[in-house]
Amino acid sequence: MRESHTGTSSGEGWKLPGMMVRRVEREVYEIFIGPQHPGSGHMRIIVRLDGDVIVEADPDIGYVHRTMEKLSEVREWLKPIPLLERMTIIDACNITVPYVNALEKLMDKSPPPRASYLRVLLCEINRVASHLYGFGIFGVFLGHSTMYMWAFGDREVFVELAEVLTGARLTHTYPIPGGVRRDMPQDFPEMARRAVRYMRRRLEEYRKIFLDNPVIVRRLEGVGVIPRNLAAELGIVGPNVRASGIKYDVRLVEPYEVYDELDFEVPVFEEGDALARTWVRVEEIKQSLNIIEQAVDWLERHKGEPVIPKEDFDKLPKLHKEVYEKTGRVKLLPAHASMKIPAGKAIARGEMGRGEIVYYVESDGGTTPYRVRVVTPSARNAVIFKYIVPGHRLMDLPAIYGSIDYFPPESDR
Amino acid sequence: MKAEDVKTLVERILEGMIRGVEIRKGYVEVVVDLENVVEAARRLKEAGFDHVKSVTAVDYPKESKIRVTYHVSSYLNEELARVIVGLSVDLPRDNPVMESLTGIWRSAEFQEREVYEFFGVTFRGHPDLRPLLLIPELAEKRVLRKDFVVREESIYEGVPHRYE
Amino acid sequence: MVLETILYIVAYPPLWQLLILGFLGSLVVAMVAIWFERKAAARVQRRIGPYWASPRLGGFINIVADMVRYVMQQVIIPNTVDRAAFILAPIVALVVSILPLAFTPLTPISLYWPVASMEFSLLIALAITTIPPLLVVALGWAANNKFAVIGSMRESYVITAYELVAVLAILSGAAATLSFNLVDIVEAQQPLKWLAILNPLAFLAAFLAVLMSTSAFPFEIPESEHEVVAGPFTEYSGVLYALNMGGAYIRRFVYAVLLSLVFLGGWAPYTPVSEGPIAGFIVPSLIVVAKATLLVLAMSFLRAVYGRYRLDQALEAAWRLAIPLALLGFGWSLALAYANVI
Repeated sequence: MRESHTGTSSGEGWKLPGMMVRRVEREVYEIFIGPQHPGSGHMRIIVRLDGDVIVEADPDIGYVHRTMEKLSEVREWLKPIPLLERMTIIDACNITVPYVNALEKLMDKSPPPRASYLRVLLCEINRVASHLYGFGIFGVFLGHSTMYMWAFGDREVFVELAEVLTGARLTHTYPIPGGVRRDMPQDFPEMARRAVRYMRRRLEEYRKIFLDNPVIVRRLEGVGVIPRNLAAELGIVGPNVRASGIKYDVRLVEPYEVYDELDFEVPVFEEGDALARTWVRVEEIKQSLNIIEQAVDWLERHKGEPVIPKEDFDKLPKLHKEVYEKTGRVKLLPAHASMKIPAGKAIARGEMGRGEIVYYVESDGGTTPYRVRVVTPSARNAVIFKYIVPGHRLMDLPAIYGSIDYFPPESDR
Repeated sequence: MKAEDVKTLVERILEGMIRGVEIRKGYVEVVVDLENVVEAARRLKEAGFDHVKSVTAVDYPKESKIRVTYHVSSYLNEELARVIVGLSVDLPRDNPVMESLTGIWRSAEFQEREVYEFFGVTFRGHPDLRPLLLIPELAEKRVLRKDFVVREESIYEGVPHRYE
Repeated sequence: MVLETILYIVAYPPLWQLLILGFLGSLVVAMVAIWFERKAAARVQRRIGPYWASPRLGGFINIVADMVRYVMQQVIIPNTVDRAAFILAPIVALVVSILPLAFTPLTPISLYWPVASMEFSLLIALAITTIPPLLVVALGWAANNKFAVIGSMRESYVITAYELVAVLAILSGAAATLSFNLVDIVEAQQPLKWLAILNPLAFLAAFLAVLMSTSAFPFEIPESEHEVVAGPFTEYSGVLYALNMGGAYIRRFVYAVLLSLVFLGGWAPYTPVSEGPIAGFIVPSLIVVAKATLLVLAMSFLRAVYGRYRLDQALEAAWRLAIPLALLGFGWSLALAYANVI
C-alpha cells in the first residue's frame, strides 16, 4: 500500500513518498512488469523479488481480451472467420483453417485437393513469417537490435508473397468452408522459389550473428529448463514442448488437409532450455521452406482444377463463373452468408507457429453458432510464467518470455 | 485408432460410471455423474491421458443445465496421442458447483479459472480461483451465459440531438 | 598581427582545453559518436539510418536537430522526487565528467598546458574519472521510482566490478615508463613504440573496462530497456535527459583521450617543429583527438553486433577475466620497464 499519495518533495527524513512499496515479506518486494513497459508486450506480470531472484511470478493477462467467443455466437457462420483471424493476425491462415475444418466436419463437406494445397501453402508461408516475428521480438528483449531488424526485414519477403497470393498482407481471410477464395496467380511459383532460396541463405547469417554469438549463448543456455515430464503435465504446446524431448506435432499426430501427403520432418531437441527452443524454431523454418517448395510444385503440375467443390460451383450463376475463369476469384452467393449447418458438436485442431490450437464448435441447426470455444497456444503456454520462471534472476525474464514466443493478443482472445 | 475402438476403450476404463457415450466429430464424448467425476478423471489419467486440452462450458438455458467438458489427450503415450476424449458433466444452472480437477491434471488450472469467470461455475478445491481475463466487476455478471445480452450502442448515444 | 592575436586568444590553453576542447569538443564528438552509432548500426542492419535531414552529409543534421529539440523540450519534474539531487546530479555529473580533460596534455610544450605542471597528471585524471558513476547512483535514488532504484543498484554493482580493472590497466602505462607524467609517457612512446603494441593485454583490459564503465554494449546493464524502463534515468525529460544520455558518450570520449595518450602514443609520431600555436599546439591536439575519436567509434560499433549480458555474467566476466588480464598487463609493463624497452 502506498505510504502517502500526494507527497511533497523530500523533507521528512528518509521516508519515500510516492513510491508504491508493499512489504510482502521481510526481504521480498513486488514490481509490476506492466502493460506500459518496453519489455512486456500487452500483458502484466506481477513479479516478487528477493534481491535479484524471482520468487513468484503471476501472469495477469486479459489486457486485450476482445470477447471473441461471445461475438461468435451472434454472428453468422462465415463471419467469425475474419474475427478469429485477428487473434494472431501474423499467423492468419493457421488460425482459421481449423475453424473451417470444424465447419466442414459438421457439414460433411471436404475441399478439393487443389484448395487443400493452397491452404497448406499459405499456412507454411505464415508459419515462417510468424517465426521470424518471434525472433525479432526475442532480439529486442535481449538488446540485440541487429537480429530484430534482420528478422523483420526478411519477414517482408514472405508477407509480400502472401499479398501476391491473397491480396492482403496480413488479413488474408483465405479459407472458406469448402475451399479457398482465390486461385494462385501465374507467376507465383517462381516468386516462391526465389523467396525460399533467399531465406535459406539468410538462415546462415542468423546462425553466425545470433545463434552462435557468445553473449546470446551465455544468456540462453540453461535458462528456463522445462524437463520432459513437467512439460507433459503442464500441457504446454508448440516448439516449447518439442524442445523438451516430446515429439508432438498435430501435422504428424492427426494430419489435416494434405499434410499426410507431404514429406517433412519435425525437429525435436532434448535439453529443454531457451537455446533449444530457439533452435527448434530455426529448424522448423527450414522444414516449412521444404513444404512450400513441394506445394508449389504440385500446384504447378495440376493446373485448372477447381478450388471449391463441384456442387457449389455448379450452383453459381454465369457471371460468377466467368469471373472465376478469368481472374481466379471466387465470388460467393449471398446465400452463403446465412447458411445453416446441421446440428452437432465437432472438435478440430491445427498446428500454428506457436503451437496447437483447438476449436470446439457446437451447432443447433441455426444460422449462428451455438458455442465456439477456442484454446490458443499462448493461452496454454501462460502456465510457464507461473511454474518455470520462479528461481531465475530478473534479467532472465525477458530471455524466457522471448524464447517461449508468447503472444498476448492470442492468449487473451 | 478408430472412433469405435476409442469408444470401447473408454467404456472399459470408466466402467460403472458412465451415463452416456457418444461419438462426435473429432472426439468421443462420455458423460458421467457429478459425484463420480473425480474418480473418472483419475482413472483416465492412469490410463495415459495426461493433459487437458480444453475446459469448455456450454449453457443450455432451456434444459436449465450447464455442461462442462474436459477434452483430454496424451503426450507421452504414442497411441493415445491421436485421440481426444471429452469428459462431460452436467451441472444445475442455478447452483453450478463441482470439484476441481486441478489436483489430477495441472494443465486445467488456468482454464478452470476462465470457466469460473465466464459462467459462474465454482470449482471446489482449486488452488487459486480468481478471474483470469476479466476485471472482477465484469466477472460477476457471468458474461458468457445465454441470458447476458450484449447491448449494442449506437454512436449517437448520449449526444444531444439538435433536430428532433 | 590580427591573425596572431586571434590565434593567441583561441589557443589560450585554459580556454582551449576546457571550453573549446572540453565543452564544445565533447559535444561535437558526442554528436559524431551518436551519428556513427546510428549510421553504422543501420548499415549492418540493411537499412539507411539518418538520411533525409541532410542527404549529402549522411543525415548528420538529424542529430543536431535532436539536440535542439531536447534543449527546447519541457522539463517535467515529478512532485515526489528529491528536487535538489534530481536537478543537480546530471549537471554536476556532466561537469565532473569533462574535468579530467584539464589534466591531459595535448602537446609537449609547457606553454600550452592548462595547469602549471603535469607531474601527476595520470593519477589525477584517473581519479576524477571514477566520480561520475557515483553521481549516477545518487540520481537514481533521487528519482524515487522502483525501476530507477533497481537501475542504480545495478550501476553500483557494475562499479565494483570494473573500477579495479580500469585503474590497474591504465596505470600500467605508468608502470612501463616509471612516471605519472603523461608527457613523459607519450614521449617515451615516440616514434612508434606504442604501448598498445608492446603490451596488448593491458590495452585489452582497459578497453573492456571502458566498455563496462560507460554502459556500452554488451554491458549495457543499468539502462537496459527491457526489465527496468530506463534504469536510473527513467523519470527524466527534456534537457536533463539529454545531459544524462550524452553524458555516457562524453565519458567515453574522455576515457578515449586518456587511452590514446597512454596506449596509442598520444601525438606520436609527430614532434612539434616549433613553439608556434599551430605547429606546437593545434596539430598535436588534433592528432590526439583523432585517435580518441577512432576509439569512440569502435566502441559505438559494438552495438550492432552484441546483445546484452546478464548482470551476474557481466560481473563474472569482470572478476574472472578482466582483473587477471589487468594484473598480467601490469606485470608485463613492469617487465618492460625492467628490460629498458620503453
